[in-house]
Amino acid sequence: MSAFEMPRRAALSLALAGFVLPAGAQQAPADPLLYGPTDPKAKRGGRVTIGSLVEPPALDPFRQAADARIRVSVLMYQGLFFEDQTGVARPLLAESASPSADGKSWTFRLRRGVKFHTGAAMTSADVKYSYDFMRNPANGSPGAGDLSSVAEIEAPDEHTVVFKLSRANAALPMTLTNKYGAVVPKGFLDEANSGTRMNEVSVGTGPFRLKQFRPNSTLVLERNRDYWEPGLPYLDEITFVTMPNSAAMVVGLQSRRIDLAMFSRPQDTQALQNAAGVEVHRWPSLNQKSIDLDCKYGPLADVRVRQAIALGIDKKTVMDASIAGYGTVLGTMVAGMQEGWGVPLAELANQKVDLEKARALLRDAGHTNGLDIDLTTIIGYDWMDPAAVTIAEQLRRIDIRVTIKKVELGVWIRNFRAREMGFTFNDWGTTPDPSLLFYRHFRAAPEGADFRNWNNARASALLDQGQETADPTQRRAIYAEFQKILAEEVPTIMLFSADVLTANRTRLKNYVQHGTGWYFGLAKAWVEG
Amino acid sequence: MAALLSSLAVFLLMRAVPGDIVGQMLGQAGGDRAAEAALRGFFGLDRPLWQQFLEWITATLQGDLGRSWYQGRPVGAMVWEAFLVTAELALATLLLATLIGVPLGVLAGIRQGSRLDAAIQAVNLVGLSAPVFWLGLMLLVGVSQFLDWSPPFAWSGPTEDLADNISILVLPVLSLTVLQAAAYAQFTRGLMVEELGRDYIRAARAKGLAPAALYFKHALANAAIPLVTFMGLILVQILGGVVVIESLFSLPGLGRLILSAIQGRDYPVVQGALFFVVVIAVLVNLTVDLLYGLLDPRLRP
Repeated sequence: MSAFEMPRRAALSLALAGFVLPAGAQQAPADPLLYGPTDPKAKRGGRVTIGSLVEPPALDPFRQAADARIRVSVLMYQGLFFEDQTGVARPLLAESASPSADGKSWTFRLRRGVKFHTGAAMTSADVKYSYDFMRNPANGSPGAGDLSSVAEIEAPDEHTVVFKLSRANAALPMTLTNKYGAVVPKGFLDEANSGTRMNEVSVGTGPFRLKQFRPNSTLVLERNRDYWEPGLPYLDEITFVTMPNSAAMVVGLQSRRIDLAMFSRPQDTQALQNAAGVEVHRWPSLNQKSIDLDCKYGPLADVRVRQAIALGIDKKTVMDASIAGYGTVLGTMVAGMQEGWGVPLAELANQKVDLEKARALLRDAGHTNGLDIDLTTIIGYDWMDPAAVTIAEQLRRIDIRVTIKKVELGVWIRNFRAREMGFTFNDWGTTPDPSLLFYRHFRAAPEGADFRNWNNARASALLDQGQETADPTQRRAIYAEFQKILAEEVPTIMLFSADVLTANRTRLKNYVQHGTGWYFGLAKAWVEG
Repeated sequence: MAALLSSLAVFLLMRAVPGDIVGQMLGQAGGDRAAEAALRGFFGLDRPLWQQFLEWITATLQGDLGRSWYQGRPVGAMVWEAFLVTAELALATLLLATLIGVPLGVLAGIRQGSRLDAAIQAVNLVGLSAPVFWLGLMLLVGVSQFLDWSPPFAWSGPTEDLADNISILVLPVLSLTVLQAAAYAQFTRGLMVEELGRDYIRAARAKGLAPAALYFKHALANAAIPLVTFMGLILVQILGGVVVIESLFSLPGLGRLILSAIQGRDYPVVQGALFFVVVIAVLVNLTVDLLYGLLDPRLRP
């Protein structure tokens, strides 16, 4: 197994700028790093089969937040920018971005020669229509919250759109990427059944188009012959099959039935380490496995109790127990962004185990006999069970008696959204920008969702500033200060980022796994022979 | 009536489970109340419960099960497609379990107390105790490791590709059959032992009737009624219990459809599919009752 393979440092300086501005007025050539590195040896043709444990509930990028949907829909639908792993928003359907001096108006030049899967040419009217639909809360898009600073979208000519903002937003290009929403033909979403129509046809601009979606069975994508970037993609067809468990994926790879699979537990890839014709890769990720603390819930309302819990947890041991150490211990930043945006762990409060201090804090908080608390885990998230047992053991040392409570995902989401999460594990990912990582989750209401009832004025002010500031150095300083408060106040304990593990048949070449766990890499992968 | 009452129960239970499709769709994104309210209105979840139920049941009784909230397809068509998969699985299991279980049970019953009987009973015990999901997993892993073979991933119906269809169903049918055949054998053995102990058998034996005629024409024929009842019970049990096996083998059957619909809070699909299952269970029991008349002359009018 090789170590991290992403070219990480290359674009780091650009990462801090948040976006890049290619010069030129005529048709700009596509950025060679879109979707991942280009392989000069790549050849066209071939079909691949991908095994997956999860299946998208539906394919509508506007109204389905499920990660399983995003993974595959990024191949069919495109936003204005591509969220490069390193934190750069690379122009995708946009060609360039020019913010005004006050950061409240952004002009995007659009790429020419882009066609929808329907055959129609993309114009600024489609872009305006799509983002207007997404930001209107009445349409129920999970991405609406990220676009709340957008006041108006204008389309002055066929190839230009202007986003007018109510407050400056340096993360705007990174917001207009591929997680939620996409550019679709104007008018398509007017039909009440447009969401479910997207299970039958794709209407995006992406390198692949939908061939067939059979729920509980398979999803087939085919090459978009009219794709705007000449020569791409290489693969003729991709079939995603839903598999019952990781053992089945291992067997499928060994028996040459599938070409690629992603694994959530490193243990599961052990059988493949010496398998002929199979490679196992490990990639840094943008996900985080964490514990969330509802700051209004019982004893957690007292910051001293939250600090004591943080001081009682040894993250490294928890990570070793749950994912056999195949990850990175976190402070207050996901692994994939630590280098660009993170504060060194040594400079953050409450990161090192200190049982004496923890006990003293609990005593001060009035819990002289310790306390009892429920810790919630989610059914289906395998890493949480060993982590919960380990944490219960660790907290017992400071007389916190933990009862582990398992809940079904739907119930958990309900509690989370109702801001009644209590003391719970969480597993979530981010688009690589600190504003998109923190704002919705930690900014006080109504601007943010503040799921943890933290309601911290200073932190909220910093999040506003961070979003408005364009200067990379200043921005970095703002988010560093925010992270220090986050570590001090403990509304969440980020435990670790689990590496993304992929295994592929060696005939599949140049598949580079994106840190989000989405299948961007298939746009540039190819097969030999 | 049974279908109506259970529909109401399903309807209320589904809504008593915390969380709805709106949460599923929004996930950890956007805490926007307006978006939540808009989606809730879109799915009609903002209306009073009685109104939602009345609308659903009226449409259902007119043969319209509505559409899936995720897939937009008619629930009726989705349920029927899934049912065909499950029905094939259940019938194949029933057939195989009968073919294996009944002869073994008869054999054990005839040779009651012999070593053969003990051996059959021991096998039955294992069959009855092995959890279906464990057996299925062992079969899947074992077969692919030792035979270097695994079933196709994508479902094909018997009319699409029969060879694929059979290779897909072999392992799940086997895993289900073990338990059902064992149950069948146990039950048949009990019936045979009981029948063979009766006076008329002793009389027939004394009359010098050939053992074959004795066992099959008399004892087994009399045991047929409880066996058919049992078959009905098993069929309903298989229909209700295939969830695990369908998930394990990725079969797009009823159990999996219902499970994923429950997880996604796709109410129309859950309600429609369970309504259908209840109707099927009622029909199976009705068929069993009608079969009695055929098998037992005394019950004919």
